[in-house]
Amino acid sequence: MDCISTPVATADTRPRLTARLAALPRGDASLFRLLFGAALLALALGLAGGFVTALARARALNLFGDDAYRVLTLHGVSVFFYWLYLIQAALLLVLAAAENGRGLALRPLAWLGAALMLAGFAASEWISAIGTPLLYDGSPELAVDDPRSVGVFALGYLLLSAGLAAAAVSGIATLLQPRRRGEAEAFSAIGFALFAWAGFLIVSAIAATNAFLPGLLWALGAGPFPADHGTEWHILFHNLHYLPLMATVLVWYVLTQHLTGVTSIHGARLSKIVFAAYLVFVPPTSLYHMFLEPNLSESVRVVGSLLSLFVSVPTLAAFAIIVSSLEASARARGATGLFGWMKGLPWRNPAMANMGWAVVNMLVGITFAFVLIQEKLAPMLSDTFFVPGYFHFFAVGVLTQTFLAALMVILPALGGGALWRPDLLRRMPALVTLGLLIFGTAGIAAGVMGVPRRVFDVGYGGMAPAAWPVLMALVGVGATLFAVALSVSVYGVVRTLLSRRAPATAESRRVDWTDGQRGVGAVPAWTGPLSVAVLIATMYVATIVAFEIIQSLPIVAIGGGHGH
Amino acid sequence: MSERHVTTRRGFIAALGFSAVSLYGAWAAYGAAPLPFGGHKGAAASEPDAHDGHGGGHGGHGAAEAPAEPAGHAGHGAAAGMTPEEFRSAHDAFVERFTQKDGSADPHAAVEAHAHGGHGHAGAGHDHASMGAAMVAAAEPVDVYLMAQKFAYSPDVLRLKAGQPYRFRMMADDITHGASIQLGSASRIIRLRPNVVTEQTITFTKPGAYLVYCTVYCGPAHDAMQGRIVVG
Repeated sequence: MDCISTPVATADTRPRLTARLAALPRGDASLFRLLFGAALLALALGLAGGFVTALARARALNLFGDDAYRVLTLHGVSVFFYWLYLIQAALLLVLAAAENGRGLALRPLAWLGAALMLAGFAASEWISAIGTPLLYDGSPELAVDDPRSVGVFALGYLLLSAGLAAAAVSGIATLLQPRRRGEAEAFSAIGFALFAWAGFLIVSAIAATNAFLPGLLWALGAGPFPADHGTEWHILFHNLHYLPLMATVLVWYVLTQHLTGVTSIHGARLSKIVFAAYLVFVPPTSLYHMFLEPNLSESVRVVGSLLSLFVSVPTLAAFAIIVSSLEASARARGATGLFGWMKGLPWRNPAMANMGWAVVNMLVGITFAFVLIQEKLAPMLSDTFFVPGYFHFFAVGVLTQTFLAALMVILPALGGGALWRPDLLRRMPALVTLGLLIFGTAGIAAGVMGVPRRVFDVGYGGMAPAAWPVLMALVGVGATLFAVALSVSVYGVVRTLLSRRAPATAESRRVDWTDGQRGVGAVPAWTGPLSVAVLIATMYVATIVAFEIIQSLPIVAIGGGHGH
Repeated sequence: MSERHVTTRRGFIAALGFSAVSLYGAWAAYGAAPLPFGGHKGAAASEPDAHDGHGGGHGGHGAAEAPAEPAGHAGHGAAAGMTPEEFRSAHDAFVERFTQKDGSADPHAAVEAHAHGGHGHAGAGHDHASMGAAMVAAAEPVDVYLMAQKFAYSPDVLRLKAGQPYRFRMMADDITHGASIQLGSASRIIRLRPNVVTEQTITFTKPGAYLVYCTVYCGPAHDAMQGRIVVG
């Protein structure tokens, strides 16, 4: 039985995050700024590539053949690999160093990791720009007559993987240092999450090596053609989805504590269990990426679907912990109204605005993700624009906005200077979300109608439904809106990184709900449960609509069922 | 000492994490989840069956959740463990035998030829015999072969009949392709791997001209890779 007199949260007596960051050694700060800068460059390149792709698909630009797919390759490689992995490596190192309080352990290894990742970045961008377009998965079968493209493409990812592993090892050593010095007996919730995340990054690096080393060896004439690339890619691809999501939840924990002073009212142990749950629930849920594979048996498809239902467990649990902790803390300080307590959050802080809208995007994205994980619906939706339609809610709305929020807090503390025009930056997440809603609604509708995911001219000589080009034009409108708004945020963060102006105090853009926690939880906190109830209801509606559509099609298609 | 409200207790918070699992109810209601109390059987479409070209097994038994399969497979053993070479041979014979003057392939043309005393067994091999046998009984699926290759389908136009089940045997000849059939409000996608023979029994319930297009990026002319299924 939980009682309000129970110590609900261990007060963090350490200096605030920004103070700990400001106290880090200068060498570490330089490394972090280098990695953040490289990650932002990758984001800018990916954003530009995505914007051009969306315009071309909307027929506002004429791009055909290799040029179109080269731009699409640059978009995917830049964003899904280099932005997401460079920013993860940088955040892992900086948060681990702050957790340690004395900077990085195994510092040369961290620098080596950064160098390897940057070398990989250069190789991947170069070959994506001039080689055979391989899209972001680098499928060797697209370039059987161009081993150079396959080899350099694979080399880029292998360097990234090696660098990522080195950075993760440095992060783990950093996190373990206080315990080895006898200064701490156990991990904090955030320390534990960082530790698990670093381990997961190493697993990803191994998966990437497994997927791309055969391609490099083949290109060098030292191995057979990597015919199994597709399977190895799926294993990596699944990690690519959930690692950044785990990082996002971790960043939400960090920013919530920084911006409001609130830690989990449910104790560190539950948070640790939730973060450990990523390791439990994510690996077995990878099968839904393979539902269209012709050699995957029906029984495996069914099991894969059922397991996929559990993929959201850690993310929803973490969401519930954060929201209930915030609401209960606000109510303990006298906040009233069903949702009125949220008015007290520091919305004038761009980091809070980015994080808040990221949560909204997550709820929208999960709704449609759960339509795709149903194996009976996969033949209608996989490989269509439904996929980019929903995952941009995650990739842009959740992950990118969350990581930018982190940078808006971290960079000024690392000596980057004052945050550039915070009153402008705090308005961007709403515009990004509006653009994503247009992009996602049109894209999901287009996908349901069958618009293929990677075709630039969807006219098919007049054979395609008339709605297809219209929907893709709307996709272009949405993409333009969120690309412009996101570019403003990225510009603001880059200006902050490069600025030498002394940071102004940000106290006015934070709140402190750490006081008055006695009595926390005595009154209802309905925001979390209501949000989840709405989410489940919309998931039901979306799933039912999809089933009704697939049943209404003028076709009956069945498998072999030969009985032997 | 006052208790916490239920909404702020750890157990309640942890349970919220599992809330999405409740979507199983919707799946079961549509017969897409393996529960005896599931809704109307066969509501959801089933999946293609694949043959890996090396005598690979039939892992799929999705027909239990799908509409009743057309009766009988007598005389249709070609698909079971069909190798890529056997598929290519059968495909070539299918195209040679059923291609019409306008370039489309009509597997019923030979039936009419049989009925009028024609002799349709131009090529050798049991596949031709099975094609002929299939066309005798309307309830039996008629074999149709579709090959995907850069950047076209072979045959690129198929003429079929509404209400008639067709056993589509499909394979990619070079690299991975898709064969998506646009059906109005949505499409049905089949992913084709090189040298993996995929089989699916398809019945079109309405006449019309259906676009077939590639949904897996396969090279610079991917956008142009299309075909048609004309259902009369």
